[in-house]
Amino acid sequence: MSQSSAVDGVVTFPEGLPGFEEHRQFMIVASPDMEPFTVMRGVEARAPAFVAVDPRMVDRAYPTTLDRVDLARLAAHEQEPLLWLAIVAAHEDGRATANLRAPVVINPGTMRGIQIIAVESPYRTDHPLSVK
Amino acid sequence: MLVFTRKVDEAIVIGDGIEVKVLRVGRDSVRIGVSAAPHVPVHRREVYDQIRAANAAAAAAPTAITDLVARLKGKVPAPEVS
Repeated sequence: MSQSSAVDGVVTFPEGLPGFEEHRQFMIVASPDMEPFTVMRGVEARAPAFVAVDPRMVDRAYPTTLDRVDLARLAAHEQEPLLWLAIVAAHEDGRATANLRAPVVINPGTMRGIQIIAVESPYRTDHPLSVK
Repeated sequence: MLVFTRKVDEAIVIGDGIEVKVLRVGRDSVRIGVSAAPHVPVHRREVYDQIRAANAAAAAAPTAITDLVARLKGKVPAPEVS
């Protein structure tokens, strides 16, 4: 399976990310020396950047299926290849966590992205990262 | 804040096409149904706040990203070579 996860161009998040609604355009940057991480970098001045990782790298059983509503929000078809990213936080005490509760999903076909906030989820916003 | 008194199965309508209906009333909780267009995000307040906080904790200045990735290296298994 190819690990290339960069999306060429600017991805628009029509609803923004919770807490950063004013920044809706992000570049998705991947490079071999950053693997397995990907960087989401806001394009506007003072926009934040995030480090992210494919949630399946953190939990092999992580489900990557979307309901019809989320597919519609991404303007995606059911079989369309989508990019899944869990935002990673590095904490002051040295811990690192990944947000598996609200993954970012990007449709390279439409260059749209959303952060999924499922009504129910067994996953945490601060799932610990560690080498198994 | 607008305040309404509603009975079970009564609703309020917000704007064009958002309906909030009381489905059931319990001792200390109320079951509510929200009907809205797919593009209207509807979330539990505490879940939304939790995700806001997680995003805020993860946000970094673009100039700090290289250092951050370096610190995170080794925290996740390396991709399998196929």
